[in-house]
Amino acid sequence: MSTEGNLNKTNATLLTRQPPKKAVSRRTFIQGLGAIGVGSFFFSTGTANQVKGKYVSTYIDGLSTEQLTAMYTDMLKIRLWETKIKDLALKGGFRGVAHLYVGEEAIAVGVCSELRRDDYIASTHRGHGHLIAKGGDLNLMLAEITHKATGYCKGYGGSLHITDMSLGILGMNGVVGASHLLGAGAAYGVKVKGTDQVVVSFGGDGSIQGSFFTSAANSAATYKLPWISVIENNQFQIWVRCSDVYGIKDLARRAEGYGIEGRVVDGNDVLAVYNAARSAVEKARSGDGPTLIECKTYRWYDHYGMSGAQIGRDGAFGLGYRSDRELRDWMAKDPIPRFRQFLLNEKILTEKRADEIVAEVGQAVENAAAFAAAQPVPKPQDGLLNVFAAGAVPLHKS
Amino acid sequence: MPKNMSYAILEAIQGEMKRDKLLTLLYEYQRPAAGWEGRAINLEAEFGRWRVRFSPIDENWIVGGSMGMSMIGVPAIAHIPSMTTLIPYELMFNHAGKLRHMTGGQAAFPMVLWADMQGRASFQAGQHADAGLESCYARLAGLKVVIPSNPYDAKGLMISAIRDVDPVVFCEYPLPASGPAVPDEPYTVPIGQAAVRTEGKDITIVGYAPQTVEIAKAVEQLKGRGISAEFIDPRTLAPLEQVMETIIESVKKTGKLLTSDDGSYSFCNCAEIIARAAEAAPGAKFKRLAFPDAPPPGAPEMINYMRVSDADIVAAAEKMIRG
Repeated sequence: MSTEGNLNKTNATLLTRQPPKKAVSRRTFIQGLGAIGVGSFFFSTGTANQVKGKYVSTYIDGLSTEQLTAMYTDMLKIRLWETKIKDLALKGGFRGVAHLYVGEEAIAVGVCSELRRDDYIASTHRGHGHLIAKGGDLNLMLAEITHKATGYCKGYGGSLHITDMSLGILGMNGVVGASHLLGAGAAYGVKVKGTDQVVVSFGGDGSIQGSFFTSAANSAATYKLPWISVIENNQFQIWVRCSDVYGIKDLARRAEGYGIEGRVVDGNDVLAVYNAARSAVEKARSGDGPTLIECKTYRWYDHYGMSGAQIGRDGAFGLGYRSDRELRDWMAKDPIPRFRQFLLNEKILTEKRADEIVAEVGQAVENAAAFAAAQPVPKPQDGLLNVFAAGAVPLHKS
Repeated sequence: MPKNMSYAILEAIQGEMKRDKLLTLLYEYQRPAAGWEGRAINLEAEFGRWRVRFSPIDENWIVGGSMGMSMIGVPAIAHIPSMTTLIPYELMFNHAGKLRHMTGGQAAFPMVLWADMQGRASFQAGQHADAGLESCYARLAGLKVVIPSNPYDAKGLMISAIRDVDPVVFCEYPLPASGPAVPDEPYTVPIGQAAVRTEGKDITIVGYAPQTVEIAKAVEQLKGRGISAEFIDPRTLAPLEQVMETIIESVKKTGKLLTSDDGSYSFCNCAEIIARAAEAAPGAKFKRLAFPDAPPPGAPEMINYMRVSDADIVAAAEKMIRG
């Protein structure tokens, strides 16, 4: 399987989706420039099946100019908001910690762009991007990361645990793999309620090995739950390289063993992710069961903290477990310029409008930082609240 | 500076791996490499990947795999991360702790569950700032539980744990490099033996791991106020019998037992210590300080208010003595 090998040689505009059956409002095929392969893989029939062609195309049927612009805007929000956190943390005195998602923005945005407000997502420790893509408020998120009383979780949770139930965000989660179970359980609940909502569980490449994933995947397949497992394969479990702890290269192959369709997509191509998510969501909504989408990507920063990072510079260099060259190769596949170039080529955006969006998002991020800085800290005794729905637990000190 | 915790523990394992050519370490991401004053240990480089193996994020493999290999006579150390302390709980409960008994003495698990613990740090929150889970393991039959408070004890207890033919849970909290110098050579700190850190006559104070830092500060402050406190670090939580002999002897002398625990108030390990002391020393006064029965919040304002501090220990001790 040479997913990356083929995808890397192409430009941002790749096909990973069959033409849709329904009539569509926009039909755009982009001829690939000298590309020789297509990165589309299906595992539902038992054997990995690589589709090859002389050219590649990108299919953006059904996406309006507004939607495409929103996707670009959301990717920028994630990038600039997290880069601000990086700079604040490096400056010192930052009231919090962060596991940065930078470099993986196309996945959150590609998936969440196809979700409704009442659909659910279950997120991970590296989940800021998922939350922003699902509509999370930049101000409240930054207030929470700095443990302020007015943040999303009133300062109890911080970065690892931001949650907004009103947006269907079942929470970031500091325990790897729990998102799969919480998501599959929610999908079961959707079946009981009889609605057409869908649930997406995000998880890293490390999240499919523990028994949480097995329990989720088997039940989702057995009961045909409206569940989509999005595996963000950024190739490292902290510093442990995926290929050193898995006997398979494409983790999506696991899906077949449970009776789930598994797909591999270029996680740095927002349209490739979107297309895979769209068919998975359509399938889930119509009662045809779960899908696993493995998105190949790379994190630009360390697992946690700011080792190797500098203010005003993208990426964390000099980390012992990976080469700077490998990082640079992946930074060259930055999903945001790739998508911007596509939008310009397609005349969805002008250079001027694209630049304005960057400036607007930049301003929103600055506003979020100012908002968070101005917020009050929690009262000490508030730590005794919210253990149960009612009342406070005793301090037991006197 | 004495050797740090990581270096001391790895030095213990290094010596035992040289001594026992089968001893094997499975771990997740906590690289078994450490440095101290220009010296370095790297267990994987020294002993090879078959004996020092990183794993996927899969505590069931790390612990269950260690159990299986130890059953056939390959002693094993299973090192698990701090946010998943209880994922291998069922394996330790129903297998490691029971199979010797269930099989009439045939099965043995010469293994160490090296459990990273968190402690009540700010900005971590929820799943990354918990404490007190040692008491979950200490209440299971068939398991021994040790909990060092400084690098010297960490090395000696790790060696004892490795050499023990029964399963031992080794709880490692983040702790400063303090206490006695750590010899380069292997030595043991026997399982089951408490340490009297400070001798005193007015009150007995018991606590372990990160709380020893708070207690040591409190003992100094109490001295300044004319109170002579005897500070005992249990070091072993299961089996507790021999540890209790030391504590009960002290309580019979002072008539007062104050315990200080980072675990949640209910069922914290010090609750067991107080219960046993109360049976053996009726008429003494008892007080348990612990974290409230709440998850740990991230904001420093909240968690620092909830955690037991040196000031809380001083206040409680003075109240017990002066009424």
